[in-house]
Amino acid sequence: MHHHNHYYGLTHILARHCGLDDEFPPRIPGYLQHGWNVGCGWNPVHEFFDGAWRFVWSDAPRRRGHALSRRNYAVTGAPMLYLMDLEPDLGKVKESEREGTLWFLFHGWDAPGGLGAKIEGDHARLISEIKETETEPVTISLYYTEYERADVRRAYEEAGFEVICFGKRGWNYEGTDRKFLYKQLAAFRRFKRVASNRLATAIFYGVAAGCEPAVYGDAMALEGDNPLFGGQSRIARLWPDMLGKDIDLATARAITDDELGKDWMMSPAEMRSLFDWNHHD
Amino acid sequence: MTDIEVVRGEIQPWTDYTSYRKPAGGDALLAFLTDALPAKAARALVAGPHSHELIRLVAARSEHVTVLIRSVSDATDLREAFPGSEVTVIAGALDGLANGPYDLVIAADGLDRVLGYDSPALNWPQRAALVTGLAGPDALVLIGVENEFGLAGLYDRRPVDARHGDDEWRPLHDDPERPTSPDQVLAALPVARLYASFDAAGETHTLLDAAAAAATRPGRPGARLALEGLAATAAHTPLVAPINTGADAAARAGLLGAVAPGWLAVLGPAGATHTAYTATHSLDLGDAGWTVGDRVVPDTVSAETELFRLAAAEDVPGFRAFAARVDDFPLDDLYPAADGFARGITEAPEGASREELVAASWFRFRDRLIAAHRRHPWPPWMVDSDDLVTTWLGMSGVEATPELLARGRELAEAFAPAEAEVPDVATALADTDEDKKRIKELTGKVFGLERTLRFRDQSLKTREAQLRKFRDELRQYRNSPVLKLHDTAKKVAKIRHPKQFARAVKKKLKG
Repeated sequence: MHHHNHYYGLTHILARHCGLDDEFPPRIPGYLQHGWNVGCGWNPVHEFFDGAWRFVWSDAPRRRGHALSRRNYAVTGAPMLYLMDLEPDLGKVKESEREGTLWFLFHGWDAPGGLGAKIEGDHARLISEIKETETEPVTISLYYTEYERADVRRAYEEAGFEVICFGKRGWNYEGTDRKFLYKQLAAFRRFKRVASNRLATAIFYGVAAGCEPAVYGDAMALEGDNPLFGGQSRIARLWPDMLGKDIDLATARAITDDELGKDWMMSPAEMRSLFDWNHHD
Repeated sequence: MTDIEVVRGEIQPWTDYTSYRKPAGGDALLAFLTDALPAKAARALVAGPHSHELIRLVAARSEHVTVLIRSVSDATDLREAFPGSEVTVIAGALDGLANGPYDLVIAADGLDRVLGYDSPALNWPQRAALVTGLAGPDALVLIGVENEFGLAGLYDRRPVDARHGDDEWRPLHDDPERPTSPDQVLAALPVARLYASFDAAGETHTLLDAAAAAATRPGRPGARLALEGLAATAAHTPLVAPINTGADAAARAGLLGAVAPGWLAVLGPAGATHTAYTATHSLDLGDAGWTVGDRVVPDTVSAETELFRLAAAEDVPGFRAFAARVDDFPLDDLYPAADGFARGITEAPEGASREELVAASWFRFRDRLIAAHRRHPWPPWMVDSDDLVTTWLGMSGVEATPELLARGRELAEAFAPAEAEVPDVATALADTDEDKKRIKELTGKVFGLERTLRFRDQSLKTREAQLRKFRDELRQYRNSPVLKLHDTAKKVAKIRHPKQFARAVKKKLKG
């Protein structure tokens, strides 16, 4: 129903979970959460049509949305969890062979028509901190919005890090890399640690894929960032256990299960019903 | 056959037997009387309109029974039904009868249909005094008390001056002395045991010990008995709102005994009675739970109530885990016991398989969830189709085939209560609001689909532009000097081998 549902190939993954065409997946009758969120599942100014159903990863966004007069929420669990079940061996190495840190820089976004927002921060200082902290090889993952900014990419390359980009999430059904999360999952499964300068989706994905998490360094600023949901300080209040350079793994896993909605995952049959993907006469 | 006797205060033409309210009776009351009445009373009095079955039972358990009916025609009819000398039928008012003492007095219909229009304006305590005054010192006396604070009365959408037909030649119900709570009944009468009495237009549906009714809580077997009874009463009352909402709140408050449509007060020595009576069962509440025959039903919260709560909390994982245990019918009368459930008093449909029972349970659950406008997390397209029941069946480990769904629906419908002739006002308004919301949502859906089409159109345009660009590039490429040179070179290449070239030309000329 909304082109955001195709971001990162999320609808494609769920269609595959349901045994349906994952190249041209069926339409989801509403909005699918596409990233971890401290609010109602979407950005503070996201538009919804009347009666839209909102499919979120966990129960917390549902409760927050309810407080915003929004109804019609259904909790599905994060598509990445389904992908992990669909691809149990993708990229997997022996635990003893996992090494290095996959380090995600908080990213901006863009869209055709001059839409978007850049991040601003002290990359040099962040690089120093990463070097001081990480004891194994570091691979920096830049979203394409930063990867295509030569100044940003060069800063990390020149620091001696491997710099990679997992692709584009797409826009208006165009340019969607439906293997985006496949590539990310394969990467997570060979790294020992996942780190970022903000608690964000990638950290939870990484923990779910078996990485030890770390969140540190300059959180950087995003142009036009709307603090309606409380911003970084609220994150610090709600998830202090997920911030720092040495995070208790068991605690991180429990929080990750909550935030990605592991208990809410549903069978293919249940999901087909929820998305109205069954044929009715 | 002897004629009827007549005492002061008879009324005619009149009938209490074909009124909006039936004479006291019903299987639950008869079951209670079977336990409570002495084996053989010497003199019994039945005051007010009571069913033939009840009079027959009293006649069997007494040497002689007198039936006092205020309507002459009712008395005459009764005389015809009971022509024997062991029954005396008297037409007249309570204030005109003075032939006590009796050692069994039954006024289960209450004290509101025992006076005539020529009787003095006696309030409730005065009428009660007349009844108890006819009883001997060790008599068993049973008095029905209508509850002005009954939930069905509170939810009755009719104005108070339009609720009692032609009965109120005096404002009987506007009586400040009338007891309107269990405590007030206990204060007004020397009660040995008090039952909350639930009736369907006068016919007793359920009797539940008033203390047990007060002690039960939502979803427990006692509350279910009371709610079924209240629903039976409500079925004959035009309501402002569904009775269950108030009944649940009353159960939480420990007030189910206080909001029953009435009470049955037992005065004097009765036989051994049970905690509750329905048309089909007698139940006793003890430390282990409810005893029904030789079974014990735990006094726990029903599967349906637990599932309603999980659905309202939108706790799908919790709902799923609970649903995995469901293996019987119906959910509103299944109580968690050990790892499974104990069934209450509902008889399962005969010959139904486990899968069919589970399917019937989920259809019934869906119908009750939706009819009551309860909160739940499932979208309308699941509710409106069989997808929701199919999903729940999946949670219970049962595969939903079309045949199973049809059978489950059929079984559930057989247990569904008769639809109210006139829906209650709140439900009608909620249904209307729901319809409006649905229209708004469907309009929104159309908007969303149109926007998706717009995105797709844009996507097609982008692709078309790309194709055109490729075509233009191809055309330019074909006209480019490089390609022309390539074409020339290709032609020249053909005459590099003269013999082959000659053969090809020859072949072409022949063809």
